[in-house]
Amino acid sequence: MNSEGRELVQTLLLGEVTSPELETSVYEVDSEGRAFVPIGCGGVRYNVKVGMSAFGWAADQVQPGASIANPVAAANRALSTYSCVGNRVRVRSGNAAGAVGLVTGKHERFGGFQQVLIDLPQQALELLAPRDRVVVEAVGRGLVVDAVPTVSLHSLSPRLWQSWSPRASEGKLFVRVAQSIPGRTVGIGSGRISATTSISIQTPKQALDREPQLLRLRLGDMVAISDWDAAYNTGYRKGSSLIGVVVHGSSRIAGHGVGLTILMSGRGDSLVPELDPDANLVSILGIQDHIVG
Amino acid sequence: MSELTTNLAQLVQVGVGGRVSHPGQSGSYSISYDDRPTMLPGMAGVTSNIRVGDSVFAFACDHGEPGVSAEGLVEREHLAIQVLACVGNRVTMTSGEAKGAVGTVVGKHAYVLIDFPGVDLMRITPGDGLVVRAWGQGLLLTEFPQVAVRNCGPELLSRLGCEPAPDGRLRVPVVATLPAELMGAGLGMSAEWANCDVMLHASETVSNLGLSGLRIGDVVGMADQDHRFARGYAPGWTAVGVLAHAMGPTPGHGVGVVTILTAPNECLELNRAPERNLRDLLEIPL
Repeated sequence: MNSEGRELVQTLLLGEVTSPELETSVYEVDSEGRAFVPIGCGGVRYNVKVGMSAFGWAADQVQPGASIANPVAAANRALSTYSCVGNRVRVRSGNAAGAVGLVTGKHERFGGFQQVLIDLPQQALELLAPRDRVVVEAVGRGLVVDAVPTVSLHSLSPRLWQSWSPRASEGKLFVRVAQSIPGRTVGIGSGRISATTSISIQTPKQALDREPQLLRLRLGDMVAISDWDAAYNTGYRKGSSLIGVVVHGSSRIAGHGVGLTILMSGRGDSLVPELDPDANLVSILGIQDHIVG
Repeated sequence: MSELTTNLAQLVQVGVGGRVSHPGQSGSYSISYDDRPTMLPGMAGVTSNIRVGDSVFAFACDHGEPGVSAEGLVEREHLAIQVLACVGNRVTMTSGEAKGAVGTVVGKHAYVLIDFPGVDLMRITPGDGLVVRAWGQGLLLTEFPQVAVRNCGPELLSRLGCEPAPDGRLRVPVVATLPAELMGAGLGMSAEWANCDVMLHASETVSNLGLSGLRIGDVVGMADQDHRFARGYAPGWTAVGVLAHAMGPTPGHGVGVVTILTAPNECLELNRAPERNLRDLLEIPL
């Protein structure tokens, strides 16, 4: 078992703090045909933190903390693939230089951006500016659970693995999650590369009537998705399940929704979710000064 | 059967230019549903042996597009031909050996998919010019205002066999209904753009749902889908579409379905019909 972090390679990756971007028409259209101006992706969010609700923001797919990307496309693919949730990040330039934080997720917009989401102490966030350089001490790609080879791991740092402490027993992996969600809710993010993409939990009003528990989702929650697989690419597979972490807030756009970064995918019944309301990054990693809502 | 009343007289017919595309390759493998690296043909160019009416499961292909796959000359023109072309619209070749040949828009993927008679398909070459007589976006059903129409050319609408049901709903004949959990890549994008993949990889799922006979060009229903303003999951809503291309092997992908109608269940009823394929409905010559 190299899930203790042995044998893994630690790679230093460079990103820059992003700045929000908009299309020529600044409007998006929601699932009921109402136009709105999207806000919440790119740059720095001073008042949105991991642990807070994924709903209720006057925003679309709001990202907690700050988001970074590398301006060179191939380097950004590496940043977006090798960065793992829980990896340490350091600010290397600008007024917040020296500040230390961690990766909380990855957000891919189809045809748009791939960004890595980071959490920093509030005083560092206040000093941060777009284009500031941030390095990710990336480690986690290559992690496997020797006792449960039918489980694939993605974007999962050894630090998160150890704190979360999934339990292997009789060929299965028992994992704490805040919620278990049916695969029929998964929207955009299907057919993408599991190591990099984010997938969306669709939550239009009609879906919330059927699955009201989705409204309790918080940024940073660990969640299981049934009948879904992400060994290599994301897609429907009856009987499989995956586990991800909530990385961005809800969306009013049809087919979009609360975003997950994929951490585990298991064939058959090899992944067993165990419900635990404390299964949130803030509690698991002991992130200071954040309150789980 | 009475004709549906529409705003047809208000629709604008636009000649949208394009050209026959050429296949491209990333050189990278994609990983199939059974975890094997694959590198398969299917997208773009002229595919003379995948045709409307063929089984969606019959080919060793990646999103196998039937007939001619057309594109705009530059990005903005490509967006225009993608959005404005509607299923059933007439297409004329404007250059090349098959200049003057007439075809039919049968679907959309990343390209506009056009069927031509077999004799013309053998002469059409990547780079040849064509013009789509595009109309259909903006179509309204006057008596069924809650049934939204997308990508449905007037040529197709009048032949779909839709009729008012006794309870006042619009009754639409389809060969099958696809469940929401199989809807994959294409959710979240505008219904006017390309199509939505249906994840029909597991043969057990396909046979359990009675979908083994699906053919390119079949008219199908989609349960719990609202495709008015981007495609999305919405219990209580239904969408109707046309199968546009054969299977893609990668998880999350599959058989593409182009949306033509979408409505709340109170306004639209699906009616199972044994045969509902564009080849017959539009009388497309082989």
